[in-house]
Amino acid sequence: MSMSLLPGYRQTELVDPFEIFIGPVYEIGEGLARRYALPVDARHVNMGGRIHGGALMTFADLSLGQAVWDATGRAAVATTNMQTQFLRAVQIGDVLEVAPQITRHTRTLVFARGDYTVNRELVFTAQSVWKLLGEN
Amino acid sequence: MVDSPVTLPEGAELASTGGFNAYIGPLYRLPDEEDGAVKRFCFIAAPHHMNASGTVHGGMLMSFIDVSMSRTTRLVTGAQRTATVSLATDFVGPGRLGEVIQSRVRISRKTRSMLFLAAEIFTSERKLAVANGLWKVSEAA
Repeated sequence: MSMSLLPGYRQTELVDPFEIFIGPVYEIGEGLARRYALPVDARHVNMGGRIHGGALMTFADLSLGQAVWDATGRAAVATTNMQTQFLRAVQIGDVLEVAPQITRHTRTLVFARGDYTVNRELVFTAQSVWKLLGEN
Repeated sequence: MVDSPVTLPEGAELASTGGFNAYIGPLYRLPDEEDGAVKRFCFIAAPHHMNASGTVHGGMLMSFIDVSMSRTTRLVTGAQRTATVSLATDFVGPGRLGEVIQSRVRISRKTRSMLFLAAEIFTSERKLAVANGLWKVSEAA
């Protein structure tokens, strides 16, 4: 049903149990140019029908993490820091979209950010720092 | 993996009664400390909270922080409606399956319409995260 709202998109392959629990998430494009979409359903919202901050931040961690994986050749990474801003309310039935950006990539760290939109209107931003595991 | 059954800390009361909180939960509120200046919450890390490498997912930790700060905002202000404005989280250590993960939340500053909050997330063994959040109070009681 969600797929029909998102022509051309396919389901993102997720491996983390918590991401599978929050998903499904959809994507379009290839590699680092992938864009991601989360159709907001009843599981993601609070009693007022607005998205829970935790659902938004999990989608941020998931989508930026995919970009970090693409940038590092699927290296083992861990979120070290995430800063988020909640600009507008997101409701059940909205489709959140993001095109993650890799801001900088060093030997030990990857910086990633995303502008999250609903119907092209900016609703949420996230910037994050990821550590490449196994590096000094 | 845990060898013995995990027990909740004393005084734990169910805090996740509907919506996303109930979906990811159960989450619990623990008795206040320091004459109410510290609000406390906890959950037991379950299989659906994990990432593939066997540690608690950052999204779950941020969700728990969001719940802890939102609930604290409502408790402190009496407001029914609150909204997250911003949250910054440092992930300093891993959480493991079966561990009791706790939060301690303090108010850094309270204005008429905003609340600045600080939280520590930890287990009995180690610190997992520190976070600073800004919350908007939509309507006071």
